[in-house]
Amino acid sequence: MKKLVYTTSLLLCFAVALLAQSPKGKSGTFALINANIETVTKGVINNGTVIISGGKITAVGTNIDVPQGAEVIDCKDKWIYPGMIDAGTNLGLSEIGSDQRTRDNNEIGDLVPQMKALTAVNPNSVLIPVTRVSGVTTVITAPSGGIFPGTAALINLHGYTPDQMDAGFEAVVLTFPTTGRKGGFDRRSDDEIKNAAEKALKQLNDIWERVVQYHKVDSATKGNGLHYYPEMQALLPVVRGEKTLMVEVNASRDITEALKWVKEKKVKKVIFTGCREGWRVATDIAKAGIPVVTGPILALPSREYDRYDKAYANAGLMKKAGVKVALRTNETENVRNLPFHAGFAATYGMGKEEALKAVTIVSAEIFGVSDKMGSIEVGKIANLFVCDGDPFETKTNILNVFIEGWQIPMVSRHTQLYDEFLKREPGLEKMKK
Amino acid sequence: MNLLKRGMLALALSWPAILFAQDDKALAPVSRTYAIANVNIVQAPGRKIDMGTVVLKDGLILFVGKNVSIPADAIIIKADSMYVYAGFIDGLSRVGVTKPKEESQGGSQQQRPKDPGNPKPEEAGITPQNDVRSSLNPADKSVAEFRNIGFTTAHVVPYGGMMPGNGAIVLLGGRTADEMVLVNKSSFYSELTPAQRVYPGTVMGVMAKYRELYRQAALSRSYENMYAANRSGIQRPATDRVLESLYPVVDKRQPVLFKAEKVTDAQRVLTLQSDLGFTLWLAELKEGWDIVNKVKASNAKVFLSLDLPEDKKDDTPARKKEEVEKNDKPKTAADVEKEALEKRKADFTAKYIGQAAVYQKAGVKFGFSTINVKASNIPSNLRRMITAGLSEDAALASLTTVPAELLGLSDRLGTVDNGKMANLVISDKPYFEEKAKVRYVFVEGNLYKLEIKEAKKGDPNAKVDLAGEWTMTTETPKGKNDETLTIKKDGNNFTGTVSGGRLLKPVDLEEVILDGNALTLRYTVNYDSQNLTVTVDAIVEGDTFKGTASIADLGIFPVEGKKNPK
Amino acid sequence: MAALLITINTVAQVERGSLLIKNGTVLTITKGTLENTDVLLKDGKISQIGKNITAPAGINVIDATGMHVMPGIIDAHSHLALDAVNESTSPVTAMVWEGDDLNPLDVSMYRAVAGGVTISHAMHGSANAIGGQCQTIKHRYGTVDPKVLMMEGAPRTIKFALGENPTRVHGNNGQGMVPNTRMGVEFVIRQAFSEAKEYMGAWSKYNSAKVKKGFRGAPPKYDLRMETLAAILRGEIIIHCHSYRADEIYMMLNVCKDFGIKRLVFQHVNEGFKVAPELAAFGAMASVFSDWWAYKFEVYYSTAYNATILTRNGVITSINSDDAELTRHLYHEAAKTQKYGGLNDEEALSLITINPARQLGIENRVGSLEVGKDADLAIFKGHPLSVYAIPVVTVIDGVVKFDREKDVDDMRIYVDPKQTIDVADAAFEEHGAHNHDACMKNAEFLLNVKMSDLNR
Repeated sequence: MKKLVYTTSLLLCFAVALLAQSPKGKSGTFALINANIETVTKGVINNGTVIISGGKITAVGTNIDVPQGAEVIDCKDKWIYPGMIDAGTNLGLSEIGSDQRTRDNNEIGDLVPQMKALTAVNPNSVLIPVTRVSGVTTVITAPSGGIFPGTAALINLHGYTPDQMDAGFEAVVLTFPTTGRKGGFDRRSDDEIKNAAEKALKQLNDIWERVVQYHKVDSATKGNGLHYYPEMQALLPVVRGEKTLMVEVNASRDITEALKWVKEKKVKKVIFTGCREGWRVATDIAKAGIPVVTGPILALPSREYDRYDKAYANAGLMKKAGVKVALRTNETENVRNLPFHAGFAATYGMGKEEALKAVTIVSAEIFGVSDKMGSIEVGKIANLFVCDGDPFETKTNILNVFIEGWQIPMVSRHTQLYDEFLKREPGLEKMKK
Repeated sequence: MNLLKRGMLALALSWPAILFAQDDKALAPVSRTYAIANVNIVQAPGRKIDMGTVVLKDGLILFVGKNVSIPADAIIIKADSMYVYAGFIDGLSRVGVTKPKEESQGGSQQQRPKDPGNPKPEEAGITPQNDVRSSLNPADKSVAEFRNIGFTTAHVVPYGGMMPGNGAIVLLGGRTADEMVLVNKSSFYSELTPAQRVYPGTVMGVMAKYRELYRQAALSRSYENMYAANRSGIQRPATDRVLESLYPVVDKRQPVLFKAEKVTDAQRVLTLQSDLGFTLWLAELKEGWDIVNKVKASNAKVFLSLDLPEDKKDDTPARKKEEVEKNDKPKTAADVEKEALEKRKADFTAKYIGQAAVYQKAGVKFGFSTINVKASNIPSNLRRMITAGLSEDAALASLTTVPAELLGLSDRLGTVDNGKMANLVISDKPYFEEKAKVRYVFVEGNLYKLEIKEAKKGDPNAKVDLAGEWTMTTETPKGKNDETLTIKKDGNNFTGTVSGGRLLKPVDLEEVILDGNALTLRYTVNYDSQNLTVTVDAIVEGDTFKGTASIADLGIFPVEGKKNPK
Repeated sequence: MAALLITINTVAQVERGSLLIKNGTVLTITKGTLENTDVLLKDGKISQIGKNITAPAGINVIDATGMHVMPGIIDAHSHLALDAVNESTSPVTAMVWEGDDLNPLDVSMYRAVAGGVTISHAMHGSANAIGGQCQTIKHRYGTVDPKVLMMEGAPRTIKFALGENPTRVHGNNGQGMVPNTRMGVEFVIRQAFSEAKEYMGAWSKYNSAKVKKGFRGAPPKYDLRMETLAAILRGEIIIHCHSYRADEIYMMLNVCKDFGIKRLVFQHVNEGFKVAPELAAFGAMASVFSDWWAYKFEVYYSTAYNATILTRNGVITSINSDDAELTRHLYHEAAKTQKYGGLNDEEALSLITINPARQLGIENRVGSLEVGKDADLAIFKGHPLSVYAIPVVTVIDGVVKFDREKDVDDMRIYVDPKQTIDVADAAFEEHGAHNHDACMKNAEFLLNVKMSDLNR
């Protein structure tokens, strides 16, 4: 056994050296042995083994036989966690924030639900490797802008085409009309803001009415009676309860309004995202049984007179009131900080266990992919990572990441620059005298 | 015809002239001697004569006292049992100053200033060589507005940026700008106002520029003195109208009248004063209660703002209904929070109102500044300050004796005493009572009588059919504006909308009160991104109503309504 | 009704207090970690550090058993408590001073205190190649007097900015003047210093001439901009230079060398790691983000390992926030260096204590827990470098400025009488998170770029 471990470690080093030259993921069969496994759904297994094969987790437990030809990775004193899921980002759709040419998440128009985030994702974005080496394996990437800015997608952070990254979930985004101010720059009077919100709500209702009509005609004619109408066609599955509606709503008054709207319109599959002031109306959200994606946790309170740690405590408060809560960073280039957002949520009321669930299984459940990911269980796809401690702590090193059973090179622009410049050559003097 | 009768005839003939005293073609008064008898004379705070007489002649107070004989040529003013005070003096104001036309920017994106770091002084708001005298207009409606509540003297300043120019002490009367001026170049006016799109574009820029200009003026001044002593052999001093305008300030011969409303700005001004050493008159202070000691220590002359935040009391029937409903429901956390926030807001608003009392208590003498406040709000604001702890005597002093002293006018203004200028205000009740109305004002011995609009008494028993559609016509300087007023009866209450005219969309009536045939309407319209509250007070007779519409602080206008046939 | 924890200090003096903090794990930063140790604060200074100190009569005692006590955190790049950030009307605005612009009523200052931050460097923005002077402030929240905020004795500092910000504000897309490129930025700085040298020469000539008998002559024109630049050349003002790209950092080192300027700190300096040897050789210091990158092109090629690389190459490095939100968890940002490069606890904590103190020239007063230094400290439940740490008490000048147990929700000092209650007033930015360019506040109108674009 020791020899086996030695050989495979050697092979691993060799492989790593190769990877440093041209980092590519590696597929195959892997045996992660001697590990502490945080399954999330079925407790912790100490000194256990996880077998990855054909992209899936094929075995989890103690006393597991290592399959013939498997690459063995000794995880003594290490921990295995499910790959983290960031329930709301711009990753892949935007590259450099201040350069409009690199941003593809914000299309023109109030009614453009047919804009698909999935196909616009750049699988080769420099930001993706930077993200996944931190243990975040899967993200929602979402359009934003007008009332119906497009369709968001759940993607695994590995693959060379969007189809290879497709994690099997899409949702239509709705930006709910807001009565809040847009920050210090917003100098509109209270009435102007109220009027703008009313106008937007009216617009929303008009659109919805039209989709309902479309649905009726489409049903009656069995899909044959209508012309090409992409906006309606994109919203049709939402009305029919086949596709999820993701409603971005933050101010407490708006959340109350949105709860009313969703009930009125009988929207069947719905998620609320944002909910910065969700804690103010948490019982109502819980009563409605609507799951919430919230974040960033590291944010300022939404009102000048709010307690300083309100944003940290928000997720925990909603969870305590009975809301199903998943976490997001709402980030583009720093999605890697998801575990820290979770850490702060844990510290300020949510607790470690729930916070971990909120970035793994709860996210998966909300997006209807809990049969595929979110925990370490046999049959799920192998999205997981190996680390040397609590992944919410900054001291912890992420040692190995697997996405859909592919071993990810632990290399990114950041690590490459570190390697090159930690001891720069030439240093101060170019020519050695 | 004997002298008395001639006098009465002259008085009768001159009435129109007195009423329209601003008209150039007014008939000159027959006599410049007036007698006001059987009046309560408040000569100064704490000095009162019950039932005395004041005699004015040629613009001066001739006699004040009990048992004063009335000269034969005196025009008798009917003011029995009324109250006479010295005309009020305002420390910082723009009464009578014409506002410069807003220069069209030509689209903010198109006109890029060429060298924004080194702009011409005018572009930077630095025009200290300007004189408010050149923009004075005695016919400006603000003159009458302020005079009608009792102000007879004001310290006015030009419009502009950080250094708009020289202020002047003016009388609120006179036919020409020059006639108004009592003391020219009485102060060097300043504001912490940044320029638009050129340096200084921020408050810190204004502070830096101020320091630099001051230093440059001091250097230039001392060089000038040296040059004046012997002009040969050295270069002549550079002429710079901006720096030259600063010499009187640098020499401490002219005070700097600095406007600062907020607690942060006021302290910035005090810092400039301590850094540079000029004589400071601090005006329009609104948030001064926490810095009273600092202000006192600086020896600055102080003029507190007469502008106060609104005390929004929502007394409409709808709101009262809401309150009743509220008390039946159990309190949620949100309600508790809202209550706490409302209380904090109310407590804080009270601080603004209590500012004057704080300054009185600290022994800081202060006048008042009216540069921001609507004239019609002044009496009620004064009453609010008095309710909050400012003594009536102190309030009166701050309107009369103190500003006279601060502005260096106590030898001729501020009290009702023999020999002083005949600036008086006469109100039918003690000035600080709620229902008191100013009836007469004297400015340098010229009489202004106020028309008291006898509000048409509403008949509380009249029955009126208010519901329906009306055409409401308001007459403003812009012409007649017709709007449609739709009123619905809802039990004992009324609701309604106003639409048409210049409104882009219908506006709900916030308040409809009908007391017999006395109608009050209130609604808010939005013009140019501003919310203007309109209050209509009218008497309804059959299918018409007539009254007045008060539009925010733009004025009061006649309004008429006629019911539309079904 | 919740009463304000802090009563308004109407006396224009700095409050100094005394406290005894008992039995904590004291992270001195410079002299190691002391277990079960007491810290005695008297009249605003640290008077004793040791075991079993008896409390003098009348002094409050804080029981820090099981807690960690560290020096107050110092944020070397901040825009808190300022009414204006950018005087962007000219590429050289050295004459303005943020100290003239302080707003002690800013509740963000309190929120920073609630994150253990006791001192911040209130900086001018990055719209200009040579911006305005900055002001080091102590977060003495509860006063209306801006002078009370100013840290007495703190050296003068000034903001410079290189790269995309000044070229966007002043170049073709902004005001249409030099600088439009990095070449222009270098020129503007050299030109300003050269003109300042001429100005210094003219005044020096005048000053020596005017004391001579029979002198008659006019002084040169007094120019506050030149006066400030002259002070920089005389070494009286520390330059804090906003910069990203390696080449412009290198350029600035050379410009400073040419003009004999030694007191130089780079800010952001995302590519500082690429010229770490040069920075160390010059003696320039660096104040960086923990992991912000890719929000502009000039930071697209940066790494979160920046702080570690700089530290390992001998550059005195600090971690800053430049953001009212980030400043509240600088202890967590510093902890990221343990992930990105493995700095040890003391090295990581130095990045937010003694190092920024050095960069602001106040290291003899603050930045570590040593007898004689200011009584500025932060008490944590849990080790500050753990994500589970909670700041519980913050002390400034020996006065408790934050106590989590006694904290009330509404910490505003002044309340706007016109405010509408119950309206969310923050910006709920859709997918774009932080405004990474707080440094550009007040300058947006000059850009043809929409503010919403800047936020992303």
